[in-house]
Amino acid sequence: MTEKIKIKSKNVNVYYGQKKALDKINLEIPTNKVTALIGPSGCGKSTFLRCINRMNDTIDICRIEGKIFVDEEDIYSTEVDPVLLRAKIGMVFQKPNPFPKSIFDNVAYGPKIHGIVNSNDELEELVIYSLKKAGLFGEVKDRLNDTGTSLSGGQQQRLCIARAIAISPQIILMDEPCSALDPIATAIIEELIDELAKNFTIVIVTHSMQQAARVSQQTAFFHMGSLIEVGRTDQIFSTPSQKKTQDYITGKIG
Amino acid sequence: MNNLKKIEYSLKKRKRQESRFKIYGLLGIATAVSFLCIILSSIFMEGKKAFLSTYIKLEVYFDPDIIYTSNDQKEEDIKFANFQKIIKNSLNSFFPEISDKGELRKLSNFISSSEEENLMKLVLKNKQLVGQKITLWLLASSKIDVINKNPDMELIAEEDRLISDLELNWLNEIRSANNIKSNFNKNFFVKADSTEPEQAGIWGSLVGSFFTLFVTLILSFPIAVAAGVFLEELAPKNKFTDFIEVNINNLAAVPSIIFGLLGLAIFLNVMHLPRSAPIVGGMVLALMTLPTIIIATRASLKAVPPSIREAAIGLGATKFQTVTHHVLPLSLPGILTGTIIGMSQALGESAPLLMIGMVAFIVDVPGSFLDSSTVLPVQIYLWKSTAARGFVELTAAGVMVLLSFLILMNGIAVFIRQKFEKKW
Repeated sequence: MTEKIKIKSKNVNVYYGQKKALDKINLEIPTNKVTALIGPSGCGKSTFLRCINRMNDTIDICRIEGKIFVDEEDIYSTEVDPVLLRAKIGMVFQKPNPFPKSIFDNVAYGPKIHGIVNSNDELEELVIYSLKKAGLFGEVKDRLNDTGTSLSGGQQQRLCIARAIAISPQIILMDEPCSALDPIATAIIEELIDELAKNFTIVIVTHSMQQAARVSQQTAFFHMGSLIEVGRTDQIFSTPSQKKTQDYITGKIG
Repeated sequence: MNNLKKIEYSLKKRKRQESRFKIYGLLGIATAVSFLCIILSSIFMEGKKAFLSTYIKLEVYFDPDIIYTSNDQKEEDIKFANFQKIIKNSLNSFFPEISDKGELRKLSNFISSSEEENLMKLVLKNKQLVGQKITLWLLASSKIDVINKNPDMELIAEEDRLISDLELNWLNEIRSANNIKSNFNKNFFVKADSTEPEQAGIWGSLVGSFFTLFVTLILSFPIAVAAGVFLEELAPKNKFTDFIEVNINNLAAVPSIIFGLLGLAIFLNVMHLPRSAPIVGGMVLALMTLPTIIIATRASLKAVPPSIREAAIGLGATKFQTVTHHVLPLSLPGILTGTIIGMSQALGESAPLLMIGMVAFIVDVPGSFLDSSTVLPVQIYLWKSTAARGFVELTAAGVMVLLSFLILMNGIAVFIRQKFEKKW
């Protein structure tokens, strides 16, 4: 592949206590593309995702070896402040988790704590821009002061996406963003991911192979803590080179 | 078919089990409720009498010969005039046939000794009264009050009764002249303790309780919340923090009198803080309340779903911002509820306060955190252990006041929980 590489992992091992969760992961993720991480439950794909924005730092027993580069910079070096890193890498979680605050405050929270905006007008503009980007503005423009938790599941997830893009990250990590949603809400989010890929590098963990096939340009298959195969999505789903990948996408394992 | 029969048979058994279990539960609740009703109604029946006191109507003659003892009378000297004699004379004018000195003394005991001072103040305010005869309702003494409120006591044999047959006859005479009435007992709500039941009030100990709890709240709430947040959110999980956690849980189970002993040893004997003062009582109760609030704080912090923390951290909030912007506000209802529960525990606590001398007999309403005072439960304890019959009603009334404050505080706790708890 000739694309510019945004994220690069080199021999990443992750341990939870004594248990090894990831084994020598080497993966390159291209800029402004969607990369899907697939694999059966417990294969380590979410763990890998959470390594990219150092979310695993919050788990006491988690230990990480190896290197992950974002824009050629080792994010596990001592000079990197994880808080700053997370401002650069947004994250959307499996279960929609808006703050129990108003829709406006949910989106405004990130810009506020980082001091991105200088005035209330600017903040309002940014909130509206982010909501539009997440395809939610039309549905909520009359009730920006309602609490975020009053929205439907799909709307809540889009609110979380709006919240993530409000601090204009370069990368958005999505951890099974549609697993709690119905097919219609899922379709809306998938469309949104396509749209967002123009401006953001997206890494998405998903259980649904159809979803991976629909939204991603690159797919990585994880199994039992190892990266089995990575390649262009169409190629992985049509002519996988590994037998395990073949077995998984045809439903024999997983 | 055979299996189905077996299942049918066992189902009957299971249903019987279930209904038996229900009956046990209902029996348990019924027992608890009936005991509660018995306790509450007996307290109420006894205590309600304390809210009324008995007054006797008398023609009071402000005799100049008694008030002005000499010709060059100074104003202050009125204070030392023999107002007891004025009351005695007023009673005597209602019962002119009594002349025996001993009987007259008994008669003058019908009126509360506090009225002497009241009459004196009346004269000091209005000198025109001297030489006049006016009709006044004077507060009856406690024993008359008790007999008047409990008519069945008149049937008790004379030697067991509070007053003699002779006194009872006088009382009946006053009654038949319609010169006796029951009125709202103001003293109970404005006075502190007294040796005379009709002059004793709950206000002094209520103020003492207020001062004490104020100190408790000011000390324990910030310290406990800070400790809880630190232990739950910021402290590394290691042997040392585990050790602290175990000890906090143990502290919550330490008998309260131990905290009183600690207060006696440290606050009084080492730091030489004033004895019987609300500030020391508050400090002791704060020690006792700390573990309760810390545990409540940690429990409600734990109850905040991790997804909220992840959302904030994922957006690049620092740990401190995550806690102060999201976790703490969400757990505040739980923390406040725990605090109020801890406070109402402290309000009902008497044992540790006995240790630091808040059990003293205090006649004045405390004016500051350093004045000697008692608190509500200690006042109830003091009244209960006093022999005079009038204190029985006061004790019950004191319990009613204490209970209503406890209900009020718990009500606020429930309100806060209902009102501010966020759903997600």
